[in-house]
Order: sequence, then structure tokens, then C-alpha cells
Amino acid sequence: MPSRPADPEPVREGAAGAPEAEGEVTAIEVRGVSHAYRGRPALGPVDLAVATGEFVSVVGPSGCGKSTLLRLIAGFAAPSTGSVAESGRPVRGPGPSRGVVFQQPRLFPWLSVAANVGFGLRRQPAAVRRARVAELLDLTGLSEAGRLRPYELSGGMQQRAAIARALAPRPRVLLMDEPFAALDAFTRERMQDEIRDLWRRTGTTVLFITHSVDEAVYLGTRIVALSGAPGQVIFDERSDLPGRAHPRADPGFGRLRERLSEVVRAAASGPGEAPGTPAEPLAERPGDLVGDAGLGRTGAALEREALGGQPPR
Amino acid sequence: MSAVSPGRAPSPGRSLSPDGHGVSPAGRVASPGGRTRTVRPALLTLASVAVLVGVWQVVAMARIWPPVFVPEPADVWRQLIRTSTQGYSGYTLAEHLLASLRRILLGCLYGVGGGVVLGLLIGLVPTIRALVGPLVTFVRTLPPLAYLSLLVIWFGIDEQPKIWLLLLAALPPVAVATAEAVRGVHEDYLNAARSLGAGPWELPWRVVLPSALPEIITGVRVAVGVAYTTVVAAETVNGVPGIGGMVRDAQRYNQTDVVILGIVVIGLSGLLIDVLLQALDRRLVPWRGRG
Repeated sequence: MPSRPADPEPVREGAAGAPEAEGEVTAIEVRGVSHAYRGRPALGPVDLAVATGEFVSVVGPSGCGKSTLLRLIAGFAAPSTGSVAESGRPVRGPGPSRGVVFQQPRLFPWLSVAANVGFGLRRQPAAVRRARVAELLDLTGLSEAGRLRPYELSGGMQQRAAIARALAPRPRVLLMDEPFAALDAFTRERMQDEIRDLWRRTGTTVLFITHSVDEAVYLGTRIVALSGAPGQVIFDERSDLPGRAHPRADPGFGRLRERLSEVVRAAASGPGEAPGTPAEPLAERPGDLVGDAGLGRTGAALEREALGGQPPR
Repeated sequence: MSAVSPGRAPSPGRSLSPDGHGVSPAGRVASPGGRTRTVRPALLTLASVAVLVGVWQVVAMARIWPPVFVPEPADVWRQLIRTSTQGYSGYTLAEHLLASLRRILLGCLYGVGGGVVLGLLIGLVPTIRALVGPLVTFVRTLPPLAYLSLLVIWFGIDEQPKIWLLLLAALPPVAVATAEAVRGVHEDYLNAARSLGAGPWELPWRVVLPSALPEIITGVRVAVGVAYTTVVAAETVNGVPGIGGMVRDAQRYNQTDVVILGIVVIGLSGLLIDVLLQALDRRLVPWRGRG
């Protein structure tokens, strides 16, 4: 069934609304953001600038505030201090420029799968909406499932529908909050491949929260680790592994995963404690404005290849 | 309970049933040999009714109490035929029943409509919750008969006070169920909708109300039940035509068979309406328990 004739140009959806040249724009800018929950500091201060087209994995011990960071960028809550901007505009609340995928699919059970995907397009003409929904269902392998209700789908299919729903209004940024954590191991690995493929095809900027070091390294063109509460950036590196054909088979994969594991483990064992390795004096630099600065500490092999973390076209 | 022996495929009715209920496990009886014997729930219900009527017949025939107190089932059956054809208090049984059903329908319609709107407001607006919440709980705990006299003083003895009474009986359960459901909507549903461009005026209609639907329908079922228990009481004041009025008249003349007939008719029609509401529930909330 050759429904997709050899696409020479992948669909670039992410930068649809941005006038500036690609790669130049800061998709997300988090400045001096901290957040307190019930009077206790939960996050930050954090500085993080995400370039358009990046796939940023954020990993950290539980309770480090990584989900909080995502919710602040999504606009579900306002930071206690600091500011969040998306494509140069300050974030004042949730909006269709930032699609969100939650840990639970959170599909609306009273709507069909197709209607769920089309929820963000309800102000558009019916024909446009139908075409876009069909395109997204095809993209996520749910073409046959449009008429079903969410509860009739498996967990993995539900999460794919949730991703399709979040992508429908062509968001500039896709925010994913541990989206595969509730799935079984097999489904999880398949979904990781699918999101990697989807990101390569759509080029949407992704901020991906996970508690799995393996997942973070497998998916992220840039990997950020947060310390224990209040979470601060203690690791920030670029990686070209997701662009390779078989990232897990690459010798760099194991090395990066090992280093990252150590950082996260040290962060989980006690807040404020510096990770043990002398080569990584990370605790000295919490709250740096981490942009290209992160490159200074990458492993030699990775450093050579870290060309801005752009996905291969 | 071993429902299916290893070699046997599960019965198609069980696995393919669209509502997922299939054969109720209560109807399955496992015999010691490991084989299973399935008794249909409907058959069980029928058997229990037959036993009840049988006991009634025996008690009536034993003449422990005079027929004025305990008429025979056959007497009630005769009254069913007589009231259906010749009528009672000037109306046939069907006319009495329809008059009662009309009151229940109107009272529930207003009560459910008002209850959903009020519950939505109570659930969404803290000020309204503080203002009206305790009042709704207050009215809910009152037996409807307590304010019947007040309604008669205000609205006279025609249809109006009866509809008002049923409205006031049906509204609180719906309002409370709706308010609880609205407050229980998971914030990620709201966040997801907001991220997809839903504004503050869209949320109640597009997200809050539909996700509260299962609880609202449960509230409606409770409300219809309350209205049913209230309608007979409402019809004790100038209630003819109406099943309550019929029962009231029969009581005055010690026609126990007509009284029992009225009770049975009210009970059966209530049962039928609840079955309809359950069907509506399955149709509107197919995700119940699976959301």
C-alpha cells in the first residue's frame, strides 16, 4: 500500500509559524526559574535554552522537579521566580504552540480517537480538520483506529493517539512528561523508536522528561540532568547518537549512559553532594546559562560530532 | 471459581458481548465435578417473584388475617382488569399511571436540568459553592413531605405544587453528584484541553461536563428514584388522576386489592424506567469503569 510516495522532503512542522531561519531561534528559554511547592523549594534556579529542532532529554532522580519544569514551560503553573519564554514570547499560560503529552494518555473518553486528535483543530474548517487528522493517524499508525473509543486501544496505541493529538495544531514545541513510563518494556522500546522516527520526520522541538537514563541517552540530541530537590542542572551535553542508525550498538552509547548514570545516582544519593568523579566538577556550576557551555565537558568522540544537535535530514 | 474448563472455549456471548458484561458471574454455579452449570439471572429473578406470589397465596388462603387485610393475588388481578377497563375514581389505570409518569417526567426534567447547572456552578465557582452548597445539602436531607404543605400553601392544589415537589426532590441529588464530579475532574484533562487552545468558557462545556457525565447519570438515576418515592405522597392532595390518588381513594374504602395493585404498578414502572436509564447510561457512557 504505497500511501506515502517517496517523500523527498520530510514534513517540517515545527517551524511553521516561526519567521526566523531554523536553528537560530531559541525555542524555549528558561531563565532563573525556581518553583516552590507548599513552601518547600522544588526546582531551581534553572537556566535552560533549547534551540529549535533539538530533542532535549531531561533526566533526574524522582522528586527533582523535572515534571515541574515541564509544567512551567507548558504554562500550567507560574514559576515562583524567573521567566519562561517560548519562541521569544513570555509564557503566560497553556497554548497550542506547546503540545503536551502526559504520562497517562489522558485522551478524552467521550470522544472517538479521531475526534481526540482533532480536538486542537476544532476552529478549522471540517475538510482541513479531516485531512489533518487522517495525516496524523497515518503518521502514528492509527489509520484503522480513528472511529474507536480510547478505551478500546492498547496502552501503546493510546499514547500514540495522545502524541497525535498534541501534534495536531502544529506546535512549535512538544513537551513530553515521562510518556512511556506506564508502558510495558516491549511497547516502551517500540514507542521510543517511533518517537525518534516521528521527531526526525516532523522536526518538532521536543522536551522529553524521563527517569530512565537509557531512554534519555537513546533519544536526546541533548541530555540534561537535574540534581535532587530543588532540581538544578548538573549535566548538559549534546549527543549525536539519536541520529545514528543503531544508537544502542554505538560504543559511545554505553559510555555516555554510564557517565550519566553516575551523575544521576550521585544526585539521588544526596542533594548538594558533588558527583564523585573528579573529571566532572558539576556541582560548581548549578544554574549556569547552559547553552554551548555544555560542549566543553563532552567526551572527545562526542565533542567532535556535536554539531548543534541538529537531526539529520 | 473455575468458570471454564481448560479444554473448552469460552462461550461467545461472554467474550464478544459489546458492553463487556457478558454472563454475570453470579449466575454461574460450579458443581463439585468441575463442570459448570449456568443459570440465567432472568430465570433467578422470575423464580424469586414466583416464590413471593406463592407465599402470598398460601398466607391469604390460610386466612390468618381477613381478606380486607390480605387479599388473594387473584383479587388484585381482578382489580387490574377492572381498573383497566372500567376505571377507578373516574379514570382507567393507564390514565392514572400516565398522569403520575407525566408528573415524574416534568419534575425530573426540571430537577435534572437545574441540578446539572447548579452542580456545575457549585463545582466551578468557589463563591457559589460557599453560598449555595449548604442550602442544597439542607434541602437534600429534608423528606419531601416536610415541604409539601408549604408548596400547597404557595401553589394551591393543582399540578404546580406536585411538579415543584418532584423538582425539589430530584434537584439536590443531581446537583450534589454533578458538583462532586466537576471537582473531581483530573487536572490533566483540563491542562490537555488548554494546551489545545481551549479557553476558559470552552472548558466547562467541552471537558468538565462530559467527564462528569458518568456521575451525573448516576445522580439522575438516584433522582428518578427519589421522585418515584415522592410522587405517591404528592398525589395524596388532590391526586386524581394519579396512581397516588387512586391508592388514596382505595385506602378510604378499605379496598386493599386496589392499594396493592397501585403499589405493584408503581414498582414495576419504576423498575422499567431504571432499566431504560441503565440502557441510556451504557449508550452515553460506554467508557464507564474503563476511562
